[in-house]
Order: sequence, then structure tokens, then C-alpha cells
Amino acid sequence: MADRNGAYDTPGGGGGGGDTAFRRTWDRSEYAAKASARDQKIKDEGKLRYEASLAGKKYHARASTPPEGTHDTEARKQRLNVADLVGKQTIVVTGAGQGKRGKGAGFYCECCDLTYKDNLQFVEHLNSKAHLVAAGESGEVRRATLKDVHERFEYLKRKREEERSKEVVDLGARIEVAMEVEEREREEKRRKRNEKRRKTKDGLGVVEVKIENDGIIC
Amino acid sequence: MAHQADAKKSLDERGYTGALIHGDNPLKLFEKAVRDRIVDSYYWKEQCFGLNAATLLDRALELTFIGGTYGVAQKPTPFLCLAFKLLQLVPEREIIQYYLEQAGEEYKYLRALAAFYVRLAWEKDEDVYTTLEPYLSDSRKLKRRVREGWALTHVDDFVDELLVKNRVCATTLPKINPRVFLEDEDRLEPRVSALGDELEELDQEEEELEVDSGSEGEVEELPHGRANGIARTGSDGEVVSDEEMDGD
Repeated sequence: MADRNGAYDTPGGGGGGGDTAFRRTWDRSEYAAKASARDQKIKDEGKLRYEASLAGKKYHARASTPPEGTHDTEARKQRLNVADLVGKQTIVVTGAGQGKRGKGAGFYCECCDLTYKDNLQFVEHLNSKAHLVAAGESGEVRRATLKDVHERFEYLKRKREEERSKEVVDLGARIEVAMEVEEREREEKRRKRNEKRRKTKDGLGVVEVKIENDGIIC
Repeated sequence: MAHQADAKKSLDERGYTGALIHGDNPLKLFEKAVRDRIVDSYYWKEQCFGLNAATLLDRALELTFIGGTYGVAQKPTPFLCLAFKLLQLVPEREIIQYYLEQAGEEYKYLRALAAFYVRLAWEKDEDVYTTLEPYLSDSRKLKRRVREGWALTHVDDFVDELLVKNRVCATTLPKINPRVFLEDEDRLEPRVSALGDELEELDQEEEELEVDSGSEGEVEELPHGRANGIARTGSDGEVVSDEEMDGD
């Protein structure tokens, strides 16, 4: 008797595993539940239409109201952190992402479980309706009154002045900081130079790949 | 009352319902090419999303240069993106006046931005002239991004350009009547130049020179008591010439 497993399932793999662990699996019960809910909705709507036609009226479906508990969208308070992982090496699980879905290499959005290879696409997604709904934002911005503008201006002015006053003006401290930065840079250069000089197997040395602006679109 | 966080609905040509400027969608004051560049830029997507008239100040105070589009790919400047945002928001008159007068007193780029908006959006010519003319005496320096590189200009230079030129910062400005016309129609008082008496003396000196050397093409006849920036035609006194977008 042929094994119950499919042609691609290895017996030792367990549950469709083995060689095919990277393939997407679907939760059948969840989709079955969704299908039955949809059928139920169609039935209910049909019933309402029938009743309306009996009464001689036409049935109008009520437009769905936006979900409760959404708050107004506001502008970003800080820049998006896209340059964090430049030059770092991370380990990514291969099967974790399918196209955009799942957490793979790149910019990951937790609310929607999507990965983007590009900071431009990522920020486009963050502005999209789908993400705003997932994050509980309404996509509408509150209109500002003159008073709001006043207050905001005063607040920003105060913040800027505080930052300006915090700057260290002491010459001695600045010289020290500058010397430290220079030391660090010199070390980096020395290290790189040594790496280049070190001969590799084919005698070409370490190839340095430089992408414009570290690949960040701005 | 709320407005949308991004401009997608307003950019959609069909079925625009909202404030009208010059009888049309305010965003149409910018050409399609420029609009596309702005909306596709990273600055717009990251920093101009979800702004309202108050949070726009955060961005405006961080401006360090004015300009239209620059570079081979016609990249829009943050200044242009914020102007576009103002056109989308269409803030109240008093807010714009606040930007120009009080807030602009300390932050010159905000003043330049507000002046640009006034010239684009306000429909009555007299209002534009009377609101912008006081700033013809503001001589703070502005950094300007031109197609290749940078240029130096001043607030009063920029305001003068707005009132005189056709195309500033990658946009064709809506037509306004020249000041002379408005004065003839008695809608405006004749302009009192900030130079005042000095202007008369200047004119006298030039006339003397003319008499002495026999007139050359360079000396221009300025009608007495008139505006020195506005009434002049074909002047060569502009330091910052047409370095704007192509197609000028």
C-alpha cells in the first residue's frame, strides 16, 4: 500500500518537513472557518434582500463604519532608522519569509508581517492604508488652529534654544573629543590597510564593494 | 475637521472636493512633472506624511535652503515639498500671516516659504502686494539650491522675484497684474519706497551723469517716486538670474 505521504514528503521528515520545509503551509482550519463565515454572511444578506423585496423596497447594504478606537494620524517624530544595520552581518532564517510576507532580510514591519528590501518601499508601506489600519490609525490628521500653531512654535523655539545652550563650548573639551575621533579613524584606516595587504588564495586581496550612500535611498 | 495624512486623494484628478485656488485643485499650481517628482521623493514620503499646520513648523524650522528642483533627475528640495504640503493643507489666512510675520521674524526660511505660498495661493492681487511688500526690506541671506550647485540670495531678493518674475522655484506663478496697473485702477496706493529720499538723489545723480557723458544704454530712467524694483523692466540688476528648471 502506497504511503499516505505525498510524493515530496519524506517519511523521516515529519508533517511535510524534510526537504520541503521552505514551502509555505496553510492553516486549513482557519480558512475553513473563514469560508463558513462568508457563506453565513451571504445567507443573511440574501434573507434581508428577500424580506425587502416582499415589502416592495430595495435592500441597501450599510457601508461599514471605520473600526472604533482609531486615533488620528500624526507626523513622524523622528527620522526612520534605516542606517542601523549597514555593514553588519545578521543571520536570517531561510524559510521565514515568502516574498514580502514573513521576516526576512531587509526592513521588517511587525504589524503587518511584511519585509521590504528597500527603505523607499518600506516607507511607502508605512504610509499605506493597509498598514495604518493594522496600526490602529485613522489616516486623518487633525486640522491645526492658530493657537496650535502658536504653541507649537513656542515649544520648538524653546527646545532649540535648550539644545544650543547644551552644546559644549569649552575649547579644551572640544580638542579632546576631536583627538579621540581622529585616533579612531586612524585605527580604522590601519586595519583596512592591513586587510588589503594580506594576500588571499588567488592573490587578489580582499575586494571592497562600495555602494552609493550605503544603499539607502534618500 | 480633519484632512488626509497623504495627498493621494487630492492628487486624484477626478472628484476633487475641497478648497479651490484660482478655481482649481490647489495642487495643480505645480506642473505634473514637478508634482510627480515631489510625491515620489523620500523626503515627502517620510517627513511630509501626516503633517498639519502646526507640525509643519517642525520641518520648516529645519530648512536650510530654498530652491526648486535640482540635479539631473530633478530632485525636489525640502522647501518645494513643504510648499506642496501647504497647498494641500490650505491653512487659514491668519496662520500664514503668523508664519510670515512673527515666526518668520526669527526663521527666515519659514518666511520665504510663507511668502512663496502667499504668491501662489492668494487670489486678490492687492493682498499679495500689500502682504509681501514689507519684506522687501528684509535683507537676510538665503541659501539657494540651483540646478547645479548653490547660489546666494536674500529675502528681499526672493520676494522681489516672486512679485516680478514668471517662474520661481520650478513653478510658473499665477498671473497677477503689475503694480502700475493696480495703481492706475486706484486699487493700490502708489508705492513708497523704503529708500525714500535717497531715491530722488540717486535719480538726480544719474541724470547728471547722463548729461555729462551722453546717454548710454546702461543708465535707466526711473520715473520719480516710483518703486525701484517693480516698475523697472528689462533690468539687469538681478544677481541671481534664471537658474531655475529647464523650460524657462
